[in-house]
Amino acid sequence: MSHSVAPIEMGQGPGAARHIRQAAIFVAPLVVLFLSWPLLVWAFGVDARVFPGVKAVFAAAVESVSDGSLLAHVAASLGRVAAGTLLAVVVAVPLGVAMGVNAGISAFLTPLFRFFSVLAGIAWIPIATLWFGYGFGAITFVIFNAVFFIVAYNTLLGVTAIPMRLRHAAASLGAGRLAMVTEVLLPGALPNIVTGIRTGLGFAWRGLIAAEMIATNVGLGYMLFVARDFYRTEVIVLGMIVIGILWLLIDRLILAPLERATIERWGLVQRA
Amino acid sequence: MKSLTLRNLHKTYFDPAVGTRVTAIQDVSLEIGAGEFVAVVGPSGCGKSTILNMVAGFLPATRGDIIVGDRSVKGPGRDRGVVFQNFALLPWKTVIDNVGFGLKMRGIPKPERDRIAMEFLELAGLSQAAERYPNELSGGMQQRAGVVRALANEPDVLLMDEPFASVDAQTRMTLQEELMRIWGERRHTVLFITHDVGEAVFLADRVVVLSKGHVLREIPITIPRPRRWDALTEDGEFKRLSAEVLQMVRAA
Repeated sequence: MSHSVAPIEMGQGPGAARHIRQAAIFVAPLVVLFLSWPLLVWAFGVDARVFPGVKAVFAAAVESVSDGSLLAHVAASLGRVAAGTLLAVVVAVPLGVAMGVNAGISAFLTPLFRFFSVLAGIAWIPIATLWFGYGFGAITFVIFNAVFFIVAYNTLLGVTAIPMRLRHAAASLGAGRLAMVTEVLLPGALPNIVTGIRTGLGFAWRGLIAAEMIATNVGLGYMLFVARDFYRTEVIVLGMIVIGILWLLIDRLILAPLERATIERWGLVQRA
Repeated sequence: MKSLTLRNLHKTYFDPAVGTRVTAIQDVSLEIGAGEFVAVVGPSGCGKSTILNMVAGFLPATRGDIIVGDRSVKGPGRDRGVVFQNFALLPWKTVIDNVGFGLKMRGIPKPERDRIAMEFLELAGLSQAAERYPNELSGGMQQRAGVVRALANEPDVLLMDEPFASVDAQTRMTLQEELMRIWGERRHTVLFITHDVGEAVFLADRVVVLSKGHVLREIPITIPRPRRWDALTEDGEFKRLSAEVLQMVRAA
């Protein structure tokens, strides 16, 4: 855990001691929050319908894990995020590359991108439910939008940041259009693409929870929303904790190391 | 090896700062025989890099022809190998993969292109660095890799754009001598751009002085080969030619 929660940094840290110290700095406020929670609930005699005690949340956790419902919600949410993200990246990267090498395409699409990136998120839900119905399609579409625009834009930035001399070098060595894309443009833009995916997923995760409250009957957002109808604050709080922890795990265990690795290995282009 | 002919080359472009078209290259014609080493010198802004970029196909000529052998060329192509001032190695590829890049583009399978690339790395004294990445190498080593990357692709003509301008003086002399050794063995047709008069005289069969976009003069360099710096620095002929070229460049 200590390694995974260390904040991202570009330079190589001097070692484990520094990682542990950074991890401690990151975790300490969370620990304080966790410890003060039962204290505050007890001291002010908070009604369980306003905010749950630790015990109730723990019980809700045990219950929802053992009956499999929590796993079903998590699986549904993660599945939508994975599908929406994958689809978005597959479409956005080629489009971003095309924009990066063609000023005309770029000039035409950039204003549209500006407009739609403002909308990318929950604003799409009403029309998405009309198009796709309630459930997987509509929510995946929201995820897609959150990831798509930012990845396409970052790909564009990455491609345009590749020094022209690298493209010239490849061309004079016989690289055709396809080889230019696979050997120069994609590797050169990769650090930006990965950064775009990380940022986009951050938005997508927030959008996902909101969309699930409206447009589905399974998933973490739905879990929160339904619990509200039954005044089950312990389930709501459990859901919030799960949502936060899941994102931290995804970001710190997968996305941040991936971003760091790509920048270290492939991001030399800016310095070359 | 093939000859390189520039015929009545012109380059004009619109300068938004001035608001009119300005002339960068004005009617430049140049014959470089097969296996000949020609250096183009001139003060900065004289258009020497523009000429190279047009010959390489990176920049379209406004008028005129560029002929390799007997074929008129447009756009970049592997018949003209380019060595860049800032090396332009692909940072995400190892040295051996950079040197084998042109071979890969020709569809030569990996074992074969590694074998060829390794031969060229040995030629440049780089076999130890084959598996390293460009940013792990010194500038001098990167440019050695840049030179053999162009050579490994067997171009008809080698275009070198101030290739040794961004390495230190000692390394530069070593690289110039190494280039002479390799060129002596293989006799490439070379168009070499530089602002360094000594370098031009040391390397070339012929020095072309460029001024304000046109050819001021061509000076044959008759110093016998092989040339080495320790022998040439005190050589009367070398001094005389360098002084002559320098005078013209400064007057240009």
